[in-house]
Amino acid sequence: MSRSRDFTLIVLAAMAVGCTIDVGSVQGAPFGVPHSAPAMSASGLMGWVFAEQAAFYRLLSTYIRAAKDDGAAMWGLFGISFLYGVFHAVGPGHGKAVISSYLVANEETWRRGIVLSFASAGIQSVVAIVVVAIAAVLLGATAKAIGLTVHLVEIVSYGLVILIGLRLLYVKGRAFLIAFRRWSAAPDLVFAPAPVAKGPSATISATTFDLCGGRPAAIAMRGGQCMVEGCTVHGFHCHDDHHESAWGHAHGPELAELEGSGGWRRGLSAVVAVGLRPCSGAIIVLIFALAQDMFWTGVGATLIMGLGTAVTVAAIATLAVSARGFASRVAGTRAGLGMLAMRAIEVGAAALIVAFGILLLAGYMASEQLWMFTG
Amino acid sequence: MINRTCCSCAILLLLLSINRADAHPHVWVTFHSEVLYAADGTMTGVRHAWTFDDMFSAYALQGIPHAKKGQYTREELASLAQTNVDSLKEYGYFTYARTETRKLKFADAVDYWLDYKDAALTLHFTLPLKAPAAAKTMKIEIYDPSIFVDFEFAKDKPVSLSGAPQCNLTYDLPHQPTAGEQARLSQLDTVPLDPSSTYGEIFANKILVSCP
Repeated sequence: MSRSRDFTLIVLAAMAVGCTIDVGSVQGAPFGVPHSAPAMSASGLMGWVFAEQAAFYRLLSTYIRAAKDDGAAMWGLFGISFLYGVFHAVGPGHGKAVISSYLVANEETWRRGIVLSFASAGIQSVVAIVVVAIAAVLLGATAKAIGLTVHLVEIVSYGLVILIGLRLLYVKGRAFLIAFRRWSAAPDLVFAPAPVAKGPSATISATTFDLCGGRPAAIAMRGGQCMVEGCTVHGFHCHDDHHESAWGHAHGPELAELEGSGGWRRGLSAVVAVGLRPCSGAIIVLIFALAQDMFWTGVGATLIMGLGTAVTVAAIATLAVSARGFASRVAGTRAGLGMLAMRAIEVGAAALIVAFGILLLAGYMASEQLWMFTG
Repeated sequence: MINRTCCSCAILLLLLSINRADAHPHVWVTFHSEVLYAADGTMTGVRHAWTFDDMFSAYALQGIPHAKKGQYTREELASLAQTNVDSLKEYGYFTYARTETRKLKFADAVDYWLDYKDAALTLHFTLPLKAPAAAKTMKIEIYDPSIFVDFEFAKDKPVSLSGAPQCNLTYDLPHQPTAGEQARLSQLDTVPLDPSSTYGEIFANKILVSCP
């Protein structure tokens, strides 16, 4: 097999996923400014999204005021809230990137991606409502205190994102190392399932690497090396059946850990970590509604906004999952290397989660500073 | 090993795909600015009046005690005005001044207060220059580099000049992106801004004072 084509495969697969994730973390940038609205070139789509978003946001206040006197205006408000949610979620801070990376790293189904997206958006709305209900309605706290609370919640949220990413990175990094070792040691085992070799073969295996022209003796020795290094050195949970039959199998042995109820619990942790951070826009809308004595209308608008957000996040998550699916199918045509490529993508996605978490925590990406004017 | 390098490259590629996610505006400010000159013809500072949008005004007013519903006196808003200018300091008051040759530095805001009218808060404050500056042309720009706050000249008499009758005052609305800027903007996804970038600057609100 041609090495250079293999490398191209890895890079292309990584790019496919990278580009999809990219959609989730796309720029708000100068487009947010209404004056640059009429841009409709390649860059125009995002400009249009941000201009629309800004327009909907400004409309929210008009509709909340109108709903005070006219019950029918409430439906208009809810419609605008939904659209605002859809457009707004394209911007930063709604966990699309984290959720998408999580789905890619964990080889999740699109169905579960949608469930996780809706769950995180739902939690996000509820957190905003709870923060405003407790701080503003019950305690009469100032904007400064609320901003501080939101900031603290954010820090916790970003910290959790980093922890989840690190955990995934550990699991996936291990799987990648093992896949890499197998591939570099025995790329041809796919075609010739290896008899399990035991004994002193590890000592000579290093020198057999360059000989992988398909000599049966070398393959057997390389199989032995995997047993030694994979199990002993890296503490890999070794199941005999994998070593006997799973060389060309696209799934790593650790997959079992990620399925079933434990996996759902981990999904929950990602959803909570992402959803914990309330959206500044929702907080402002809720407090504005409260000031108009329309708190419950604000709650309704916030929940519907969350629904809109969920639609966008779910769409992006589905894209990420399909990109992974595509990469997986391409990789499937190249047994050992395909598995390695998929492991690499998973490691990359896990690293992205950590990177997102760190960037968010460092304030590099989070720019919805509610405390800009209010301390 | 080549394949190891390539795998690293792939991961790096993933990492590079992260963008600097800038904010979209959540605060809209319509502003009046007065450029202050002393009798000796030097510029001494800028006096701002920034009116916030109604939603942000309601947010900022949350929890501020006041005697009469829907009304706030200057005294009742004093602590909020203090908080505002304290917070703005970190952002350089979003005000940037320069002569043809150098940047000018502003000292901390003075004479600040808030008033509340038509459901909107207006923050009044004066930014004195650290040292009065003399120059033929002065450029004052008001913008948020991160575009979280959207600044817009007030419709009615947005800028004025105090104490320099001999000078001419003009202002420039933020321009529409040119073809070149449009191209750069479309690449922000793939070629992100440097974290310290102030790209928003090119869409700044500009005030120009030229003196004979």
